[in-house]
This record gives sequence, structure tokens and C-alpha cells, in this order.
Amino acid sequence: MVTAETPEGILLELRPAGLGARFCAFMIDGIIRLAIIYTAAFAMAFMGGVGFAMWFILIFALEWFYPVVFELSPAGATPGKRVFALRVVMDNGLPVTAAASLARNLLRAADFLPFGYGFAVVSMLLRHDCKRLGDIAAGTLVVHEPPAASRIALDAVEPVVPVVALAPADQAALIALAARAPRLTAERLDELAALAAVVSGDAGRRGPDVTRRVLGVAYWALGRR
Amino acid sequence: MTPLQFEALYQSEWQELGSLLDRVLGRGVTRESGEGVSGARVAALYRRACEQLALARARAYPAYLVDRLERLTADAHQVIYRQHEFGFARIQMMLTVDFPRAVRAQARYVAAAVALLMLPTVVVAIVVYRHPELILSVVSSETAASFDRMYSPAAHSIGVREAATDWMMFGFYIRNNIGVAFQCFAGGLFAGLGTIFFLAYNGAFSGAIAGYLTERGLGPTFYPFIVTHSAFELTAIVLSGAAGLRIGHSLLAPGRLTRRQALVEATRDSAIILYGVVAMLLVAAGIEAFWSSAPWLAPAIKYAVAALCWIAVLAYFTLQGRRAA
Repeated sequence: MVTAETPEGILLELRPAGLGARFCAFMIDGIIRLAIIYTAAFAMAFMGGVGFAMWFILIFALEWFYPVVFELSPAGATPGKRVFALRVVMDNGLPVTAAASLARNLLRAADFLPFGYGFAVVSMLLRHDCKRLGDIAAGTLVVHEPPAASRIALDAVEPVVPVVALAPADQAALIALAARAPRLTAERLDELAALAAVVSGDAGRRGPDVTRRVLGVAYWALGRR
Repeated sequence: MTPLQFEALYQSEWQELGSLLDRVLGRGVTRESGEGVSGARVAALYRRACEQLALARARAYPAYLVDRLERLTADAHQVIYRQHEFGFARIQMMLTVDFPRAVRAQARYVAAAVALLMLPTVVVAIVVYRHPELILSVVSSETAASFDRMYSPAAHSIGVREAATDWMMFGFYIRNNIGVAFQCFAGGLFAGLGTIFFLAYNGAFSGAIAGYLTERGLGPTFYPFIVTHSAFELTAIVLSGAAGLRIGHSLLAPGRLTRRQALVEATRDSAIILYGVVAMLLVAAGIEAFWSSAPWLAPAIKYAVAALCWIAVLAYFTLQGRRAA
């Protein structure tokens, strides 16, 4: 996790994408590029030397500018990166600038050495923010798009007034448990709720009823009365 | 204040900000345009959302609330602080002022790159001119023979190259030369060693070919061929090499910055030069394919045009954009 501070003093949390996700995205982009090149080869075969030249130029443009064009589009990522919900941003979380995008993509020529993106892989494995050399120099970052957080669905539960005073951290822990409830098995939820059972005056007991009452306290802490 | 009260109190502001952002970013169902969105309103709502996010974090409000605010503020931050780099005026400014100025600001690196490229060229050219057999240590005998054929006056008088072939060579040159230039730039990341290597290597290689062809008496076909486009091509390679050297130097001697900060700064400064280099290489490839290789142009005309090109390029980098504020 990397944080970037905005001028308003808010910390934005950026989640750098690891080698695996970036490799997969790179492969998809590679397939797309190959598909374009082969399709173009068929189309341009009928045009003789001019077609051949345009094909060469196309290969060149795809090689160097395919990522630049897509990174400067509103989505901020190539199709391959979009499949894996990745995006290229500046270190401060802003959209990547044209200068930075051009620099990070031209510096592929260094990342590619000594063979097969060797330096890029080493650099990405050694760094906690998983940058390749071009990213370091251009001040860019490849991040995961944030996933949507699940809402708390507790409508079936009656709010329960806690029997002990709850510190803000305790309330936050209970609410976090309630938010996770739909993703836990019933048995595990009972176990976890038993640990917090003191809040509803059920210390030492466990079971679905206790769980419901603990979640009721969480509901109360959320503000339902 | 409980989380639900907090949410109820500010909900409407968040919705308004969210829908404004959707319009600006051009997403959402309605496909309304971003025109007419009040920047002041977005900024005001954004600042309030920032305060609310800080409160929500400090009070450990539930994750979905904090998440929603984080998402809103992150989107708004992107919209508000986005840098606009393009537009016709910007490109004109870049061509008439920024690019030549950036080159002059890096004069030391440009001089070093010129030396790194041209010294090996001249030295190797002289050596190969004296001992033509040394060409075989640079290229294979088949390649050397193909150079002979390519530049023999006979080939040109028959006019083997037709329009279609010109186009083919145009594509080939673009791919090859821009690749060389980009390597010279990217090599800077290895403390400048890569740049030094690529500059010297390409210099020595072209020197060897020039020395060999001159010794074979093919100079009269070879020099008119290269002299025009080299005004743009050699300059572009030198400039990208200079940018690479600047990057390498920032790593070796970062001054008061950390190495990483120095590197990021050097790369940012180099970007403007890279734009120019790409443009110059496109011009060079066009000239190389359609002008340099035209056999029906008298060498005298080619030399005259080449002189004009060289003067124009050098004048552009030394004089252009000095007066503009």
C-alpha cells in the first residue's frame, strides 16, 4: 500500500499492482497487438510496397505508442490493464501526464534489457511499490482500481443497547464484524461474535442468538435505535 | 454523531458531487456532457468531502462510508488537479520556444553527446579508410558486398528503387532509427553507461561504413545520400543521447536531492526533448526515403539543400525562442 497526500491533507491510498497482474495484462496487450499486426498484414498485402511500408510503420507505432495512447485516454490504461482493473497514475495519484507516459514507455528500451524484460522483473520484485525502471524515472505507478466496498445489510436485526460503555475503537470493530458477516460461515460468525459477547451482556455464551444480539449492538453503534 | 446520522446529514452533498464528477468524467447512464459543470461548485464540494473523510477516518466510521468518501475524493482530486498538456497553442509553444530552449539548457550534455558520437565516427572512418579489410570486423563480408552494390553508381543510374520501394524504406528507417534514438535515451538509466555505449557504437558503425565506402571510391554516391537527412537524424540521436546522459548524471551526482528525486526531475526535464526528437526523426525518415534516395537529383542540388537544412537546424537550436518571455 502506497499513500499519496493531496493538497487538502487527505491521504489517498494507492494499491500498486504486482508482477503477476501486470504480466497478465501485458500478455493480453501483446495478443491484441499481434492480432492487429496480422489483420493489417492481410489488408496491406494487396497494396504492394506502400502497404508494406505502412505495415512497418504500424508495427513501430504499436511497439512504442500503443501504451501511450491508451494511458492518456480517460481510462488511463491499456485494454489489457483494464481487464485486470489496473490503471497507470502519477506518484501523487493524479492521471498520468503525457510527458510521464511517453517517458515511461520509451524507457522500456532499458527495462527490456538484458533480455525479456529482465531488469523490469528484477526491479518490480525488489520494490514494495512494484515499479519497473521506466516507472521510477517517470514517477508513475500502476495501481489496482479500488474494489467496491460491501454495504452492511442488517435489516432483519433489531438494534440492541450495549450493556457496557463502548470506546470508538470497540464500536468500529463491531461494525467491521457486521460488515463481514455475509461473507463468513455461520459457525465462524458465531465464534467471532462469542469473543465480543460481553457487549450484549452474554459473556461466556455462544450461539445464533448471541450472534444476533452482538450484531444488534453493531447496528446500534451504526446509529439505528 | 453516529455513522447513520453522519451519512444522512451529508448524503445529498455526496450525491451531488458524485453526479457532477460522472458528468465531467463522461461516465454514467445519462451521457450528459461535462459542459456547464461549475468548477467552483465541484471544488467546494470536494473540500467538504475531504473534511468529512478526515472525520470519518478519525471516528473509525464503517468501511463502506470511508470507502465511498475515499472514492469521491480520489475522483474529484483527479478532475481538479488534472494537468492539461495538449492543444494547438501548447504544441506551437513547444516548437517555437520550449524545445530549442530545453536543448540550450542542456548544452553541456549535448556537447558531450556530440563528442561521444562523432569521435568514434571520425576515428573509425579514418582507420577503416587506411585499412579497408577492417570493415570485416564490423560487418560480415555479405553485408559489405551489399553496401558495395547499394551505393555503386550503376545501381542508381538504372534506378532500381521505385516509389513503392521508397515507401518500404521509409517504414524501415522509421523503425530502425527511432529505435536507436530511444536506446540512446533509455541507456541513461544505467548511470549513463548505456547511452555512452549506444552513441559510441552507432558512431563507430557508421564511421566504419563511411570509411569503407570512401576507400572504395563510392563517396560520390554515398555522401549525397546521407548528407540531407543526417541534419535531422544525427541531431535527433545526439539530443536523445544528451537526454540519456542527463539522466545518467542525475543518478551519479544527484546533488541535494535523493537519487530518485533527481532521476524523476531529469526525466521530466527530458520529456520536452523527447517530443522534439520523435518529430525530427519522422522528418528524417521522410527525407531519407523520398529525397536522399532519389537518383534523378544531381548531387550539387542535394548538397545545396543539405547545407540549407543543416543551417536551419543549427539556427533553430541556437536562436529560436530566445526573445519570448
